[in-house]
Amino acid sequence: MALESTMNLFVKKTGGEIASQLEACTRCGMCAEACPYYLATGKPEYTPIWKVEPLRKAYEQRFTIVGKIKLALGVEKPLTDADLKEWSKADFEACSVCGKCSAVCPMGIEISSLIATARAGITAAGFAPAGLVEKAETQQRTGSPNGAGEKEFADWYAALEAETGIKAPVDVKGADMLVVFTSLEIGSKKKNLYDLARILNAAGIKWTVSLKARDAFNMGSIIGNPKLQKELAGKILSTAKELGVKQLLVTECGHGFTTLRDAVPNVFGEELPFFVTHIAELLPNLIREGKIKVKEGYFANGHTYTFHDSCKIQRQGGIFDEPRYALKLLAGDTFKEMLPNREEALCCGGGGGMRSIPEANENRMAAFKLKLEQVERVGADVVVSTCDNCQLQLKDGFKHYNRPIEVKGLIEMVADSLVR
Amino acid sequence: MNWQEILEFSRGPMFYGALLFFLAGMAYRLFAVISLGWSKDLAKPRGSKGAGVVKSFLRGGIIFPFFPREKSAYANNPIVYIAGGLFHLSLFVVVVLGTAHMLVWKSLVGIGWPTLPLPIVDWMAAVGIIAMVALIVNRAVHPVMKLLTGPAEVMSWLFVFLPMLTGYMMTHHMFFPYEVLYSLHMISINVMLVWIPLSRISHFMFYFFSRTQHGVEWGKRNAMP
Repeated sequence: MALESTMNLFVKKTGGEIASQLEACTRCGMCAEACPYYLATGKPEYTPIWKVEPLRKAYEQRFTIVGKIKLALGVEKPLTDADLKEWSKADFEACSVCGKCSAVCPMGIEISSLIATARAGITAAGFAPAGLVEKAETQQRTGSPNGAGEKEFADWYAALEAETGIKAPVDVKGADMLVVFTSLEIGSKKKNLYDLARILNAAGIKWTVSLKARDAFNMGSIIGNPKLQKELAGKILSTAKELGVKQLLVTECGHGFTTLRDAVPNVFGEELPFFVTHIAELLPNLIREGKIKVKEGYFANGHTYTFHDSCKIQRQGGIFDEPRYALKLLAGDTFKEMLPNREEALCCGGGGGMRSIPEANENRMAAFKLKLEQVERVGADVVVSTCDNCQLQLKDGFKHYNRPIEVKGLIEMVADSLVR
Repeated sequence: MNWQEILEFSRGPMFYGALLFFLAGMAYRLFAVISLGWSKDLAKPRGSKGAGVVKSFLRGGIIFPFFPREKSAYANNPIVYIAGGLFHLSLFVVVVLGTAHMLVWKSLVGIGWPTLPLPIVDWMAAVGIIAMVALIVNRAVHPVMKLLTGPAEVMSWLFVFLPMLTGYMMTHHMFFPYEVLYSLHMISINVMLVWIPLSRISHFMFYFFSRTQHGVEWGKRNAMP
């Protein structure tokens, strides 16, 4: 039964995109050398294309003559529940779906997208890690994976006035921009709202927050549950339409941003009537266009800054130049680039739900060590990131390895250096 | 049946049968994938998909083997990168730019082209053979390659290696009479032609699909593919 759900999902998802990519693989193994979890542990089963095996098997056995012959001759065994259970470990506990494997594949196969489909198959069979299942259920029930509901968000919005004197515009029809957050912010970075409100007001943007569309975090995308993904994103889509906004701003959520910008139009089969943007793109553009003014060199204060490219916002979101523009302005020559960076950057190790899976902790910290080495190579004592999941992972990691390295978000940097 | 008759058969009916199977098999593989259909992407692109595709092929097809974009990845498994690149180069030089093979192409498609001098083609053939040996040794010892290598990968290697080896031996009249080596060369080619549609050697066709999709995906987000 479990397997049947998986097969149904695989069959439904398999089109020319997936088929042609599975057919193109030569099993050259190059993708392993891009995977932070393989590099950190040396375990061959963490090879990205090996993580796709459940999907490959299902595809060949269901769609190809050779696959059917191999099955009939007993050369290859049919996909089983036990396989899916086994692969859950590599696909969820040693993969952040960071997509670096796709960057080095000589055939150009989008391996991380294939892994995401394999993960969805594993989830359909009921073998997703308990930690993620619990978060998904919590988000389905409350709206946020950490259980923050309407009341928590209402309190947070109300606190804005006490903190800054700015009254939060809640569900304002006709606003130009709807701002959606991540529950991680309401948990540990409440200041983001206060900072952002000052920036957006300074820029003269007519913005609103919402009590219906609050959290861009999408456990459906993370765990690979298409129904949940649609349900959660649907709330944001319908609210944005209802309010008639022209822009949807995602604050610091990485996967939430790419889900809303790139997946939602295809999930709902419609072009979005608004532009989806991220603070990594918006804030530097506001500076560049002169809509806000920051004190140049405000952070050139004896520290060395570096920028961590997040997988979803930078590699998969394409927002490379904008945050660098802001950082060069704010930190001047004290901003140094890690190598490799941009499209080829190394994952911090904490994406793809890794932070919610206790069993993955060892892999998560092992992969982080590679990032730490990069940071230390440029001698940075402040790491800037536009993704709050990355920021939390960086903080966890520096603490774990006992390094006095600070982690900053772009929102706070722009707000702190804001002139008007 | 003597060797002369075996040669006549292997370069005659057997070759044309294998060629037909190869063409029909590849056409079927292509049709099977295409018939699954592509979904329309409704997301607003942030960059040019077309430019992404051009960059994707430039990086993947031309520049990739000589200027690795991701040095650390290639440095960790250099044999795949160096031997894999040299093998493909050797294949191109020998099969396309070798005089004997050009004449086969000419008999099949009706047009010929200038070729390289035999010593160069011969050296490249030797390079290809050495590269193939390096690749199979790597598959046998590298932990990742061991995991990814099954009987099908070994057979693919063997069915490509045998035509290369027999072709080289034939050129140099090594160990066996010419018609024996020529027959073995043709038989091994025929086996390879039949094997290609049944195996991952068909990647040469799907390469164009995956590279294009890669370019579209990375181009639309305005990233370098």
